[in-house]
Amino acid sequence: MAGKITVLDPRGQPSGVFGRRSSGDNPGTILSPRVRPVDSREAMEKLQMADRLDTLEGKLIYLVDVGFPGSKEFLEEVAEWFKENMPTVKVVYRQKRFDPYSDDPQLWEEIHAAGGDGVIIGVGG
Amino acid sequence: MEDHYNIPTAPVVTARFADYVLKDSRSHGMLLRYSFPPHPIGFIPRSYIRDYIKGNDPYTGKPLMQEIIDALTKPLTEEEKNPVVPKRPRHPRLLPPDTEENLQRLFLENGWTDGLPIVLPTEERVAEMLTGTDADPNQVVGRMSIAYYEEKLEYTVEKVAVNAVMAGCRPEHLPVLLAIAETQHPSLPSSTTSFASMLCVNGPIRHEIGMNSGLAALSPFNYANSVIGRAWTLMSINFGEAKPGDTFMASLGHNLNYNNMTFAENEEDSPFEPFHVEKGFKPEESTVSIFRGWNVLGLGLGNVEEMARVLKNLPTMAPTGTFVMDPLVARSLVDEGFKTKEELRQYFAEKTGFPPSAINFMVVGGQTNPLWITTDFVYTETESIDKWIPKDGIRKDKRPLRMPAPLVCKDGICNLPR
Repeated sequence: MAGKITVLDPRGQPSGVFGRRSSGDNPGTILSPRVRPVDSREAMEKLQMADRLDTLEGKLIYLVDVGFPGSKEFLEEVAEWFKENMPTVKVVYRQKRFDPYSDDPQLWEEIHAAGGDGVIIGVGG
Repeated sequence: MEDHYNIPTAPVVTARFADYVLKDSRSHGMLLRYSFPPHPIGFIPRSYIRDYIKGNDPYTGKPLMQEIIDALTKPLTEEEKNPVVPKRPRHPRLLPPDTEENLQRLFLENGWTDGLPIVLPTEERVAEMLTGTDADPNQVVGRMSIAYYEEKLEYTVEKVAVNAVMAGCRPEHLPVLLAIAETQHPSLPSSTTSFASMLCVNGPIRHEIGMNSGLAALSPFNYANSVIGRAWTLMSINFGEAKPGDTFMASLGHNLNYNNMTFAENEEDSPFEPFHVEKGFKPEESTVSIFRGWNVLGLGLGNVEEMARVLKNLPTMAPTGTFVMDPLVARSLVDEGFKTKEELRQYFAEKTGFPPSAINFMVVGGQTNPLWITTDFVYTETESIDKWIPKDGIRKDKRPLRMPAPLVCKDGICNLPR
């Protein structure tokens, strides 16, 4: 062991605490990690994905623009594609409020209340 | 939408970030069905986007629109129905013993440094560093991640001391680092936009630990300014889990990430109240204040109108601005009729349309030129240092390490032989 030394590991330890999107209604939470909402591992394991649709034909699909450059143009072209290829699909374009990183519960409620069947959301990048 | 409203979603992300979001999805236990058009989709001709939609996902090789339709219609798999958030193991406190040369290599090759040589955190050195505070080494200071939504890593007083040793700090610096760590702000946010950070120390500790607030305060001529700024970066790497291409996505990066523009405010030569007093602290308290932004525009010269013109025209993503100004500038502003920072703030808000609360003024420098630096930095937080200082006072070495202080030529000949 001559010439060998022991040093401490500099890395932080896994905490089981994850960041969570904050609502853009409260911009104070965007900047301070201490007041940003968090999720626990246990809470996340209870989250469930939605049942899938049997088909898109005749369904109401929301196209949600998160606000990154090019998203609007991309979703407009997606709408055009449905018009040409699956004309029974009804699409509605909505722009998410606030910045691309914030939650927008008001919009999710609106989509649910309007009977939205599915959401295409983007474009991250 | 998926969990709360039982509405299926098809998230779309450009292919450059496929690995990033898939990892994020796995680590959050929800295997979202992403589709990936080519990258980028911003600022490109419309015809390209049309072709992307008619073409394949470059990540999977499948037709993009069919993939989006499948994301909404294909039945869930058992794996998708039963989410599992992977539990990561804790690291042992000590690394396996090895030679100094091999350990330097280990730290470098594992990405635990900023690329510069470090002081290896032996048990003896860390124990000495811990004399810089009365706090329990096992006390949890905070949790951090450079990516907002990833798992945050927890760190103790001892972990802060480890990174302090690595940065070359002495025990006298530890209270400042603990205050920085307590903010839980990484200096290296994950963003593709390449953030920079800035750190300002106020109060009596500036002098106690020999920080520079005067001539060349922003240059590499002061031990405390250098190692404190570096330690924030090392903590951000090791507590925030900064890994380029994995969690750290800054396209160009930012040179300020090495030291985070660390300085002490020149309270003595400023006509304005110190920054921490603005934020509700007492003048005799010591604090760290941290800022974040992108642009740092040097060589500002001119009166208040010119300052407003430059700030208004600074290309930025947010209506925010922080001026870092020499005391000569601060006094000129007083001469122009602005007696307080609040009056200045109102003036700049009127001229730029920015919210008054988003405009800040820091005073630093050696009064050799009335220069101001314009930044788009947003103020994020001020934290008290005092609670981390030992009850017997700052733990100084018998002969504290100090670089040469800036030469002040009071006799007009700078101590040169006549």
